[in-house]
Amino acid sequence: MSGHRRVKDIDYDEEDLYDEVNEDDAEPDTQAELTPEDQANFATLTPVVRAELHEAGLQASDREIQDALWNYYWDVGKSVGYLRGLRGKKVNGGGGAKKEKVKSKFEEVEEERARKAAGGWTSAGLDLGQPESWFHDVTWSHVPEAIVGDLITPTKRRPSMLGGSSKLAKLAEERKRKAEAAKVAATASSLDHLTLDGTHEQSKGRSPDTQPAAKTRNYPARRKEPSPPPKLPEPEPEQEVKEAISDLRAPPTAFGHTLSRSSRNPDQRQTLQVHNLLGSSTSPDAFSGPSPDDIVTRAQGASRSLNNTKSKPQKSIANGVNGLPKSVDALHLNGTSAEQSPVQPKVKSKNMDVTKIWTETAATRRPAAAFVVIGHVDHGKSTLMGRLLLDTGAVHQRDIDRFRKEATEQGKASFALAWVMDTSADERERGVTVDIAQHHFSTDTADFTILDAPGHRDFVPNMIGGASMADIGVLVVDANQLESGLKGQTREHVLLARAVGLERIVVAVNKMDGAVPAWDQHLFRSVSEEVRKLLTETGFDRDNIKLVPCSGLNGDNVATPPAASGLTAWVTQSSQTLISALEDFAGSTATSSESLNNHLRLQITDIFHASSQHPISVSGRISAGTVQIGEPITIMPSSELASIKAIDVADSPVEYAVAGQLVTLHLTADDIEQLERNVRIGDMLCSSSSPIEVVSDFTTTLLSYQPLLPGPVEVHIGRLQLPGRTTSLLELVDAAGGTVKRKPRIVKAGLRAKVKVTVDRALPGDEGDRVVIRADGETLGSGTISGLGERWIGAASGN
Amino acid sequence: MRLIRQSIEKKTGEGRCTMSPEEPEDMWHAYNLIREGDTLRATAVRKVATESLSGSTSTHRVRTTLTITVTKLDFDSHASQLHVSGRVSEENKHVKLGSFHTLDLELNREFTLEKAGGWDSVALDTLKESINEDAKAQMWAVLLNEGLANICLVTSHQTILRQQIETNMPKKRPGSTDHDTKLKKFYQRVYDSLLRQIDLADAKPILLASPGFTASEFQKFFKAKAEGDKKLKPLLVKITIAHAASAHVHALAEVLKSQGVTKSVTDARFSAESQYMDTFLEMLRKDDPKAWYGPKEVEAAAEQGAIGKGGGVLLISNSLFRSQEIKVRKRWVKLVDSVKEAGGDVKILSSMHESGKKLEDLSGVAAILTYPIKDLDELVEGVQG
Repeated sequence: MSGHRRVKDIDYDEEDLYDEVNEDDAEPDTQAELTPEDQANFATLTPVVRAELHEAGLQASDREIQDALWNYYWDVGKSVGYLRGLRGKKVNGGGGAKKEKVKSKFEEVEEERARKAAGGWTSAGLDLGQPESWFHDVTWSHVPEAIVGDLITPTKRRPSMLGGSSKLAKLAEERKRKAEAAKVAATASSLDHLTLDGTHEQSKGRSPDTQPAAKTRNYPARRKEPSPPPKLPEPEPEQEVKEAISDLRAPPTAFGHTLSRSSRNPDQRQTLQVHNLLGSSTSPDAFSGPSPDDIVTRAQGASRSLNNTKSKPQKSIANGVNGLPKSVDALHLNGTSAEQSPVQPKVKSKNMDVTKIWTETAATRRPAAAFVVIGHVDHGKSTLMGRLLLDTGAVHQRDIDRFRKEATEQGKASFALAWVMDTSADERERGVTVDIAQHHFSTDTADFTILDAPGHRDFVPNMIGGASMADIGVLVVDANQLESGLKGQTREHVLLARAVGLERIVVAVNKMDGAVPAWDQHLFRSVSEEVRKLLTETGFDRDNIKLVPCSGLNGDNVATPPAASGLTAWVTQSSQTLISALEDFAGSTATSSESLNNHLRLQITDIFHASSQHPISVSGRISAGTVQIGEPITIMPSSELASIKAIDVADSPVEYAVAGQLVTLHLTADDIEQLERNVRIGDMLCSSSSPIEVVSDFTTTLLSYQPLLPGPVEVHIGRLQLPGRTTSLLELVDAAGGTVKRKPRIVKAGLRAKVKVTVDRALPGDEGDRVVIRADGETLGSGTISGLGERWIGAASGN
Repeated sequence: MRLIRQSIEKKTGEGRCTMSPEEPEDMWHAYNLIREGDTLRATAVRKVATESLSGSTSTHRVRTTLTITVTKLDFDSHASQLHVSGRVSEENKHVKLGSFHTLDLELNREFTLEKAGGWDSVALDTLKESINEDAKAQMWAVLLNEGLANICLVTSHQTILRQQIETNMPKKRPGSTDHDTKLKKFYQRVYDSLLRQIDLADAKPILLASPGFTASEFQKFFKAKAEGDKKLKPLLVKITIAHAASAHVHALAEVLKSQGVTKSVTDARFSAESQYMDTFLEMLRKDDPKAWYGPKEVEAAAEQGAIGKGGGVLLISNSLFRSQEIKVRKRWVKLVDSVKEAGGDVKILSSMHESGKKLEDLSGVAAILTYPIKDLDELVEGVQG
């Protein structure tokens, strides 16, 4: 039985701490009956107690006696002692004239204390653990508005005696209510005071001057009572504060609060934003109010200054702290609702002004550039790049020798250099590049990143992804097979390179050694003319085109000029090497400060497991903004949150990176597995402060390369490829943007048109993003997003 | 679908028809046949509440034959189930007149259908089509590239996406086998999912299509896995490899019309639709004034008699006939009838096929004319303005 009593006591106590509003709703239990055993006990023991009291010259009603007996678990001695004390006090206090039922504050408190002492009351006896720890590693924040639900507090039954509670319990309820009323009336009792202080503190936390400004959120309904005017007690000296903090328990979260509270009114719905559940204090606005420590200080100060007797210092601290969670909690609610604060405080940020540092160091920095190698299949892109890496020392000769040995065994000796780039078994076996390969090398004056694109028409999507990460294009043309290239992927790649925004291009006229006659200058000239024509037609500026004759297989005029005499004499005189052409362009590659000041955008081109230290890493090109270690980021469209743990540029760690750089970001998140599951290649990594829009359709003004009809298409934005459809051809436009014809039935090749495109999946996009539209393995057109459409809601159902 | 009996007057279209669906595909036909307002008679299980003499009520389920006037149709393409809701139009001892019931059409249980406005030509064609035993071919199509696979069931009338598998494929990087191991894992997942879908007792041909070599790589993987298994071995000979532009479902249309596939697949029907659509699109791309799409344009052409003998083809999506409004439906039936009268060819494309979807993107109706009409769209607009 005492066990049940204990439960009740705790509940009673918690009531004091947490519940104020719902107090009136308390329903006394009515169905309960005493067991026959209990009744027998009462019958036998009541007269005994009465007799004892009589001896002491005191009177007590049956009820009081029974109550005492009940509390002391049939211990006659204790009950008598208690009642004696009670009566005595009553006489002393001068309130003895009152009827028993109307009990004073003193009695109530005394009774409670005695009860606690006798019952061996401990809060630990029922500790369910800190409520907030139940939801410890669940990420709740950034939940879309649409799915934020109402939390209806579970109707937790108050623990009561076995088989329901007795009339005594009813009485207890009654008393408790009175006690509450008495508390409000603020009769001076040390214990009561403390609780009151708690309330004051809490209201302070909520009062407008301590709140972050102008944030409207639905607070839990329980915060209904008007704030009393803030009463700031004098802060106490420092040393006492320290003592208090050592006792501090972690404040429960709002959610924990809600759960641990017993609601006796099931109809009372509490609207609770999921954001509010975050107990984190990382919000920048959290500091605009008083810090939790300040509040502790104040609470402590208040409790001490008012508690004159200081008879129970431990208890007062405990109470002062217990009063605290509410105030801290209130603060949290305000703080977290103020802004979507990320939940990863794991990595410390240096909070550098990256833009400033970057512009300041501009003079001392080596120029860096990324170039994509494009061209028709089998024109020698990978081999040329292998040569480039070998000659610049990025790859060792012994690796090449090993490749050569292996390649010769497979009867493909000429592919040895390409194997530097083509590392997968598939690619080596077939001698075709499938996916973009990324390598770094440095020359005397600049740092480069190679993006080796596949030439085969099936892998054009990969090429689009690669080209959209590059600053410079390197078009590799087989001097002997220009025709096949112009019909095939040479043309398409050039179109696409322009479509994704490349402006400068180096044309490597390859396989000059294989020409008949070798290194034929006339051949180079005629090929140059053809290619230049194609490039200028596509929209490349004449000044931004460089043509270089070379031989990837032998390495002539790649990194070093060929022999100055003999067949190649004209080359050394009239042309620069491929490397120096690239260096020229690299020098003029600079990131505008405008793009640095924009919000961070990085399209994820790869997700991988780098090492056990970095379980999840992403790579890509920063298209806007800056990033530094410790920065909180959001990945769209999944809205996954993460923080930057480390940054690599060109395989070496750095502290920050800026727009235009190809980076690898090592991420950390609360739930790495969830992050891995939800993030896809093509997703957009954004700064958490302004994530990119996610839409389901958009309008684009594009130039068509093939006749364009309404129908199914693939939409490519950089590395992202989505199935979709051109839903309507809005109008044909001329170069200046004027309308030529509304609602054409078809957009013929070479015309500009405004088209509405719907995608079957969420598309993270910005106005001005470059988009390529393909169908059936052909590029239909390319342009920029001119208007974002409907916000993405979810997978559209239907067929 | 098996035709049990029919009593349709050729002239007026009055009468009823009793059919028995035999395979899931037949639900699709039923979905295209049954319209709002039609009278449908089928067996159903209905909960009936009875009140005993003492006043206590008890409910029990009875199998009874119900006749309802259709108010709503709901077709679940994934499960091939058709739910038909309506008001009871013939009272029986269990059910009162006018109460609502939803009939779930079941395989091998007969149903009788009476059309509200009589059986029109399109309905009769659909009926004929549905009871055609020849058009029952099916096959599995797996469209894949590295990291994405779409497993589809292609039947004569539908393409059903059964499962989509997507994983992040890390890029190749020097000194890492991450890509290769992930690729193996991906193949394993596709393999497992495919086997879960296939009914081994009655295995259909399997078409693997991909850009690049992924399909043949997967075939190798499949072979290595299935070689030792007696149950799976017969599957190996049924695999065909084809090239696809991408792994997205809409690339299937292109795959199905390629020659290698038409040869290997027993029934050419699925590719027939693709081919008609293809011819049309090709003409349109060349801006041939004989190819037009859009309801007004096509109707105008039909009025002029331009979709007639000697090459006139009307392509129309069957989704247009599923319109809830009888008026709209009649409009299309009229169009079909007028083209037929003029001697033109009418092709009703399934909206559940990729070619049909393409047609839907072009407003659902298109035509190849017998003679060219220039600026038909402007003519139409002129009439309106």
